[in-house]
Formats: sequence, C-alpha cells, structure tokens
Amino acid sequence: MHIIVCIKSVVTDAPRGKIVRRADKCALNPFDRPALEVALQLKEKHGGSVTVLTMGPPSANATLREALAIGAHRAVLLCDPALAGSDTLATSTALSAAVNYLAPFDLILFGSRTLDSDTGQVGPQTAVRLDIPMVTGAVKIDGFPGHLTVERKVDGFLETYELDLPAALTIHPASAAPRDPALGGIAAAFDEMPVETLSIGQVGLDPNQVGDAGSPTRVLSMKPVKKKRTCQWIQGTPATQADDLVRQLVDAGLIG
Amino acid sequence: MEMLLEEKHRTLRQSVRRFCDRELRPIAAQIDQEARFPWEVIEKMGALGYFGIQVPKTLGGAGLDAVSYAIAIEEISRVSAAIGLCVSVHNSVAVYPIMAFGSQAQIDQWVPPLARGEKIGAFCLTEPNAGSDAGGIEATARSDGDTYVVNANKVFVTNGGIADVCLIFCRTDPAAGRRGISVVVAERGTDGFVVGDLEDLCGMRANPVCSIRLNDCRVPRTNLLAREGVGLKIGLAALDTGRMGIGAQAVGIAQAALEEAVRYARQRQQFGVPIERHQAIQTMIADMATGVDAARLMVYRAAALKDRRLPFSKESAMAKLFASETATRVTDMAVQIHGGYGYSKSYPVERYYRDARVTRIYEGTSEIHRMVIAKSVLEE
Repeated sequence: MHIIVCIKSVVTDAPRGKIVRRADKCALNPFDRPALEVALQLKEKHGGSVTVLTMGPPSANATLREALAIGAHRAVLLCDPALAGSDTLATSTALSAAVNYLAPFDLILFGSRTLDSDTGQVGPQTAVRLDIPMVTGAVKIDGFPGHLTVERKVDGFLETYELDLPAALTIHPASAAPRDPALGGIAAAFDEMPVETLSIGQVGLDPNQVGDAGSPTRVLSMKPVKKKRTCQWIQGTPATQADDLVRQLVDAGLIG
Repeated sequence: MEMLLEEKHRTLRQSVRRFCDRELRPIAAQIDQEARFPWEVIEKMGALGYFGIQVPKTLGGAGLDAVSYAIAIEEISRVSAAIGLCVSVHNSVAVYPIMAFGSQAQIDQWVPPLARGEKIGAFCLTEPNAGSDAGGIEATARSDGDTYVVNANKVFVTNGGIADVCLIFCRTDPAAGRRGISVVVAERGTDGFVVGDLEDLCGMRANPVCSIRLNDCRVPRTNLLAREGVGLKIGLAALDTGRMGIGAQAVGIAQAALEEAVRYARQRQQFGVPIERHQAIQTMIADMATGVDAARLMVYRAAALKDRRLPFSKESAMAKLFASETATRVTDMAVQIHGGYGYSKSYPVERYYRDARVTRIYEGTSEIHRMVIAKSVLEE
C-alpha cells in the first residue's frame, strides 16, 4: 500500500506582522502530525510505504526531513518560483499534479487544517482535482485491502463511510497521538536520506495554472484585530463568588 | 543563535523540547520534591535513543554529533536538571570511556544495552577523602587469578541508585601513586557490590545520587578498561566530554530561569506598572540574557571543536566554568525578580536555584577548572 501524506511547513512566528518563511520560524503543521501517525500505523498494519509531499520554498526541506525522522520513507518537495502566491485552488492544482507524478497510490492523507492559514480547503479541493472519494475529519480507518471503512464524528453524530481506493481523507486531530522521532531517526533523516525536489514542469504544470496567475482569490488587505479585554473582580465569600461567576457565564450564554 | 545551527540541530531541539514539555514538565516539581526517579519517562527516553546519543547506530545508539548532544542535554535540563544530569553522566562519563578505551569485546558486551537505556551507567571516582585530588583515591583492586578483588567506598555517585554498569576508579598498584590507578567495570548484582542510601541533596533531587561500596567484590580481570595504570588518563578524557555536558546542563537551567523571570516580570505589577518597566529589573534581564547567550556559545563551540576532531579540552573547561557560574548567577537573579514568591515552592525558580548550585561543584569544581585553564594558557 502506498500512502501519500500532504504536509505543510507552517509559519510559527511573524515578527511585527511580517511573514518570513525561514527554517527557524517554521515547523511541521501540528495538525499534520496525526495524519502522518495514521499513515505510519496503517503501513505497520498492512505493509507498504509512506511518502510525504509538500509544496513550499526550499526552507520546507527541514519539515520534510522531520517527517522522515518520524518514519516516512520518501520525501518530496514541490518547489518552484512560479508557485509563489498560490491560493488554496492553485495549491490543490499543484498538489494533485504532484500526486499523479507519484502514482500509483492507495490513499492520500491531509491534516484537518493548518496552523497558519487555517482554511481546511486544500485537502478536499485536491481530492476533487484527482476525482477520488474524500471524507473529512476521519477518526477511524479500517477495511483494507480493496476498500476503506471510515468513521467521522460531526455535530454529535458518528458517520460511517465506505470508500473505494484510491481515496483521500483529512484526519481529525484527536484520531491518533503522534509519535516522537527517535534521535537516531533525526540523524538518519538529515545525514543519510534524500529529499527529492520537483519543479512544476516535472509534474506537467504550466506557470499560469499556479501561483498568482492560477489563483482567483485576491486578498485586499490584512490587519491584526485588537480584542478589548476587561477584567472584572467578583467580590464576596468563595461560595457567593462561584455562584456569581456561574450566573454571569450563564447570562452571557457561555455555559448552560 | 538558532540561525547559526544546522537544520538537523534545530529539528533535534524542537523534538527534544516537545518531548520534555509533554513528558517531564508536568512531573518536574513533583519528582524533585519526592526525590523520585521517573522510570516511566526514562523508559520512553531509552527507546528514543537518549541513552546513546553519540553511540553509532550499529551499537544501538542514535549516531548524532557532539553539538546534538549538547542541545539535547540543554533541553532536558531546561525542564528537569536532575534528568538532564542522568542522561549527561550516562552518555559522557559512562558510555564514552567504554567506547574510547574498551576492547571490542567490552564494547560489544556493555555498549548496546547502555545505548538503548536498558542499563544505566555511572562513574565512580569520588571518595570521602578524594574529590578534586583524584590521585588521592584509596579504593583498591587486588589481582587474584583471573579476577580483581575490589574494595571501594565511592560517594556522591550520580545515577548510583539505579546504575547497572559502574566505572570504578581504584588502585591496582598501591606503590605507583597516580600511575597505579586503573578503571574496572563492576556490575550491580555482583557479590560484594552494595548500593548505599540515597543522598538527601539540596538540588538534583530526582537523580538517585548515592554511595556505592564494593566489599571484597570479585570482578573478572577482563573488566579492566585499557590497561593498568591509565585510570587517571581515562578519567580526564571522560571529563572533557563530561564537562561539556555539565556546561550544557547549566545553560538549560539558566535558560529556564531567564524564561520564568521574563514571564513573571511581564505580569507582576508594582507601583502601577508591570515590573518589566523598571530599569532595575531590565538590567537584571539584560545581564541574564547576555550570560546565557555567552555560555551557550561557549558550550556549542567546545562541541563543534569535538565534532571536527580538534582539541577541545581547554574550551570544554572554560565552557563548564563559565556556564555553571552563569547558571548560579542567573537563577539567583530569577529568584530576586520573583521577590518573596521566588523563595516559594509555588514557583519553579527556587528549584532552578537549588539545581544550578551543584554545577559549580561536580565534574570538577570551579576552582579546579581555573587551575586546568590557567595551566593550559600558561603552557601555550
């Protein structure tokens, strides 16, 4: 079984609101860790291999190597100046082309969302581009080989789906506790294992399909929102303070 | 600093930090107070390679370099100095001397289980009457057929309460003075190998520091490291890497104290403003941050020299001296910034203050380090 996990090197810090995609200010998206964990568990149970794929600047290399350290077999970086400015649609165009380049595959996994842009769109859009079935927020995966049974928790319901392979899933963050990379895995990932770099030409894309040119979204402006916080002291004995706090939270519609 | 490191080292730091924040931070204060060794975390660390950081993969280790080692010890010590001490001593003064001076048979016998954390190592040099003066030890190993009969009273043995493989410094030739000292490896469970009570220490309380006595303990002659008479040479070589580890540990403790001091200075209000606005506090924060940064650079330099196979003995001694003195000063200032709360167990800085103090004492006191450094400078 060949599982491809799409991961992202997210920005962890933007000093004075300015994003600098530098390796020391980036990290593996925490929502992708459970997806990688699910892939590794499926591989351990059913055999096969796990490929991690990301689209990003050269600094995303470190994130791919961390995924190798955790246990992925192969790491692929789709990196091209023409990809700069891609919105989620252009990103899914690029990722689906890279996935086809890496075919054959049985399963593509995504994190449920990213820490930095948080749209949750790229997984489903990529599945549509590839014309394969997709379930979002998967919590349990079973039923190999041949097809897939997937459970998804949403709005207080547990939904169960059956999918034909190949298929795509986004993984609920609580579905699996991500493992730590072994220190020896870190040494191997950085000293011994390769990261393959692909250009858009290699995956059969044209510059006007991706980047700014391939992105219908236009961001008009972006500014931080300042939340006004106030502090209110509740007086009285501990018991009356607790009653007062509960009443206020109920009145505000926050509990009840 | 981070930009000057390789990607491997940054990834390693993030991984170790994530592990320690999740596994050690919630219990760090408790294991200190209860003087409890957290086996439940140590077993996980063993499986991840923390007990053979620089050991080649073929021998069950992680195969990382000395800079990685320094970063790992720093990050563990930032959360729990006592566990950083356990890992540092095990790697640098137990595993390393066996790797560097052991025969292939000895390496094959002891290193793989040590590197996987299945066995814990200890370095037994200090005695009631011999610390800084290592040549003054009284322990003896008398040759008798194919065994040594070892008699030793070793004190303040880091990891002593849990150690399986102990490097015992002893006299094989009592008439030969400093050149009559050797290292034999004694394993717990051997007849005559007695583990003493835990020391009730000021800091590093989660480490089972205790005395170890060998009473007519028969150890196979094949457990001798290298050859007779080179014990002090083995000890000094081990301490070169050990000092780097203690330096890294001091940097980790100081970093933790700096972070807590900054956090507290931002939230604590006096005279109507957060105390971070007061110049007296800013001066302390500036001195703390500068000291931590300088200490870190010195430790990493010693490690980088070792990785390049260049001499690093003087630099390692300087790094240990500076980092340990910095850690005691920085943790003292962190307590000062916290005021009365810094003296309370409600905040972690009092633990950092207690833990930092011993870094100026063990693996060579500051005074001995100044002697080593001065000798090295004057001989240049």
